[in-house]
Amino acid sequence: MPSGLPLIVQPSSGVPIYRQLIDQIRAMVAGGKLAAGSSLPSVRALAQELDINMMTVSKAYSRLEAEGYLVRDRGVGMRVAGEAAGSAAARLEELAPLSHELVARGRQLSLTDQQILGSVRSELKSQTKPS
Amino acid sequence: MSEPILSARNLQKAYGKRAVLKGVTLNVPRGVVVGLVGSNGAGKSTFLKCLLGLLRPTAGSIRLLGEEGWELTPATKAKIGYVPQTNRLYPWFNVSQMIAYTAAFYPAWDEGLVTRLIAQSGLDPKQRVSSLSTGQAQRLSIILALGHQPEVLILDEPAASLDPLARREVLTSLLEAAQNENRTILFSTHIMSDLERVASHVALLRDGQIDLFEELDSLKDRVKRLRVSANHDLPHDLAIPGSLRTQVDGHFATVAVNHATAASVADLEHRWQASIEVEDLNLEEIYLELNHR
Repeated sequence: MPSGLPLIVQPSSGVPIYRQLIDQIRAMVAGGKLAAGSSLPSVRALAQELDINMMTVSKAYSRLEAEGYLVRDRGVGMRVAGEAAGSAAARLEELAPLSHELVARGRQLSLTDQQILGSVRSELKSQTKPS
Repeated sequence: MSEPILSARNLQKAYGKRAVLKGVTLNVPRGVVVGLVGSNGAGKSTFLKCLLGLLRPTAGSIRLLGEEGWELTPATKAKIGYVPQTNRLYPWFNVSQMIAYTAAFYPAWDEGLVTRLIAQSGLDPKQRVSSLSTGQAQRLSIILALGHQPEVLILDEPAASLDPLARREVLTSLLEAAQNENRTILFSTHIMSDLERVASHVALLRDGQIDLFEELDSLKDRVKRLRVSANHDLPHDLAIPGSLRTQVDGHFATVAVNHATAASVADLEHRWQASIEVEDLNLEEIYLELNHR
């Protein structure tokens, strides 16, 4: 049964698969896509769905548990922690590495700050929020 | 820690005067999935054959489940599953006859498991073995190797000659095999992308020795490529601790490093008055960088 979680793994990316899972689940929790208290698929089910090793999934879950995003329900599996749904500050923190990368790339291309901001603005416009 | 499932100590194998294994040392714990990588001719098949007692080592020791490879007892052999590079299926059988034939060799054959795996694989029990595609035949070989619930599963290039679709099917079979957490799996491959989905550990065989045995995740977390850019010319002999390969081109340099941490990168930025971007590398890129040493 598909878990319904929109997780994507790219095995040949340089980022270890367990970290890809952590990043995506964290973002979903911070953004409220995964509500507090909602349960996650079992290690076996998720490994099967994504065609990856079970150890990889259980490693991602354990790290997320240690970070306080998930809690282990004995016998039931993993749930999203109570107060995990993030503050704006926490969500912004998720975005920080991408901003860092964007600015670094912009500088390499010898773009001005105005041009970089302009590029972000036009991207925001093209992905207008459905309200 | 419990005794390793597989342990090689200074294993050597020569064919006449040509040394292929030049002192392999490796300890593999229980329950891991190891991808054994190395270029063609690095000695991957020779290593697996020594492990299984199909070849006699020239010197050194190789133990599997606590017994020397060359002296494996029947009781221990019954705990091993092996899928050779070229399949040993009989073309005149159909799928279910092939299963019945194989099952007869094993007292502890798990018929329920095999029936379930065949159903999952979509193989038709009535189909002639001779008419199976390469990928289907390989999948059948893996299922046959799992029927006696082996503690150790060894596969020699399980996906080498397959098209991408069939390769994916074989990987799925491997993942099914890996669902038993007590089972140890060792497979050789020269296709890195096969490994990245399935393996928990990587063993790199280079020039007749195991150069590296490590968790795949920690390897990817550790080996990085730094893109250095400065406002001044960088020295041609730019010395960076733990560097595997350095290329300097005026204001810019790319450096592959063995162990990147946030602190070490900040330190380098300060020392060279440069900005550094850290690039993640996939296994193939890591393999190429490591081979530059």
